[in-house]
Amino acid sequence: MNMFIHELKAYRKSTIIWTCSLIALVVLFLSLFPTFSKEAEAFKEIMKGFPEPVRKAMGLSVESMSSILGFYSYMFLYTTLCGAIQAMNLGTSIVSKEVRGKTADFLLTRPVTRRAVITSKLLAALTCLVITNVIYLAVASIMASSVATEKYNYKIFFMISITLFFVQLMFLALGILVSILIPKIKSVLPISLGTVFSFFIIGMFVATSEDDAARYITPFKYFDTTYIQSNSSYEGSFIIVGLGFIAFAILASYYLYSKKDVHAA
Amino acid sequence: MSFIRILQGGLRMNVIEIKNLTKSYGKARGITDVSFNVEQGEIFGFIGPNGAGKSTTIRTLLALIYPTSGSATIFGKDCIEFGPEIRKEIGYLPSEIFYYDNMKVIDLLKYSASFYKKDCSTRIIELAEIMDLDLNKKIDDLSFGNKKKVGIVQGLLHSPKLIILDEPTSGLDPLMQQKFFELLEQENKNGATILLSSHILSEVQRLCSRVAIIKEGKIIKLEKISTLQESNHKKFKIEIKSKIDDNYFKITGVTNLEIKGNIISFLFSGNINFIMKKISEIEIDNLWIEEPDLEEIFMHYYEKED
Repeated sequence: MNMFIHELKAYRKSTIIWTCSLIALVVLFLSLFPTFSKEAEAFKEIMKGFPEPVRKAMGLSVESMSSILGFYSYMFLYTTLCGAIQAMNLGTSIVSKEVRGKTADFLLTRPVTRRAVITSKLLAALTCLVITNVIYLAVASIMASSVATEKYNYKIFFMISITLFFVQLMFLALGILVSILIPKIKSVLPISLGTVFSFFIIGMFVATSEDDAARYITPFKYFDTTYIQSNSSYEGSFIIVGLGFIAFAILASYYLYSKKDVHAA
Repeated sequence: MSFIRILQGGLRMNVIEIKNLTKSYGKARGITDVSFNVEQGEIFGFIGPNGAGKSTTIRTLLALIYPTSGSATIFGKDCIEFGPEIRKEIGYLPSEIFYYDNMKVIDLLKYSASFYKKDCSTRIIELAEIMDLDLNKKIDDLSFGNKKKVGIVQGLLHSPKLIILDEPTSGLDPLMQQKFFELLEQENKNGATILLSSHILSEVQRLCSRVAIIKEGKIIKLEKISTLQESNHKKFKIEIKSKIDDNYFKITGVTNLEIKGNIISFLFSGNINFIMKKISEIEIDNLWIEEPDLEEIFMHYYEKED
């Protein structure tokens, strides 16, 4: 419990900053919606001017853009990008900061198991992400209902929004695993930004192709907002693969961390 | 000889038992076949030059690194398997102190105390007073020596039964060293067993009853400190006014004699009065008497073994 609270305190500031950024993003985007929906026809014309692959890569879907859910889906791609960076940062740093700050000696000479150390850190990271998601969802919901011009399906809005959490979980798990695999991480940001943007760019390429199997490569493509809108459900196979990956990464992290030699600074 | 001593040691309870501990890193670093015991209630010295394997041994005892082969027990329990349980009763002071920079000293100490299921708050204040440590400063703002003090308080605040110190005095001024040694002696009187690793012979001599000497990853000597003191060497360097006979200092007890112009240097072991009289009979410009560093002591051991 003490380690959990210690970690929460350590990440309080960064969680507040990331939550604020996500909120700012959704508020800014959704506040554009009223203007956008008024001029929807004109926008559609402009967008049709873009080549098809470009539109797909950017997640622009001309038909649905004039509805609030369609508009939200488009901007949500950037919310997940932002959220993924937060989660990857958190995952990459939360274990490796003990090595970087040379505090691993202190922590691991306390009467605790390495498992307990990982568990506390994992729970603290999860708590940060849950807090971010709850606040984000609340603000996004309020914002959406206040700018919506006609009635929309809130269930779908909710379903799209919480995929943020799922994508974040995948990047958190990946971040923790990467940070344990790499012996010494001097700086977190290049690794987390590099990884997230690589997956994001892969996601753009995947979007232009018709190959569904390619979508398994990048967490950004696990949740197709168009599919959610038309089916009111997620694609089961992606959920299973996603959960499988998270479980694998976490278990591997536990195993590797328990076996790892912690060298002197 | 040392085998018999280990057997005798077995009669008292051993707090630490190290058996053929080996840790290889692929290259030269690491330890090979390290074996020794630390008895309950003793202050055991662990000496050797930098990089000899002191820290590697200690880090294995603390389960920070895992041995390649061999094993070690603390309080009769395997130090890897029962690590968390054993560490409840261990206080550890690393050679270099690093803590969470943005924390205040008191918060760090409270965090450390929160791992042990006992109230340590009065002990924290007591120890901070002895070590003259300001509890309200940020760790980040502390000097090297003050960080070391935090380490000392942190290592002792839960009144551990076994105290492991890895080169504890670097960075402490002589007054603080003195206070720290008194603190250790007090803890020892109250029943704590102490393993003190160092490359400074004098501090080991002052505190310890027995020592293990390690070099290049191997224990080369396990000795009572009293035996070590019998062969206590002093390093002499004399600047003479006028040239004297080269054989003037060629007497029993003098080794490593070197004469360079008007500078004479040698190691001496034996009755100190005798050599002082000898020196007083000649005209000198300057005189230095120093503790020989550990390397010189080791040379001495190698000479004996050959």
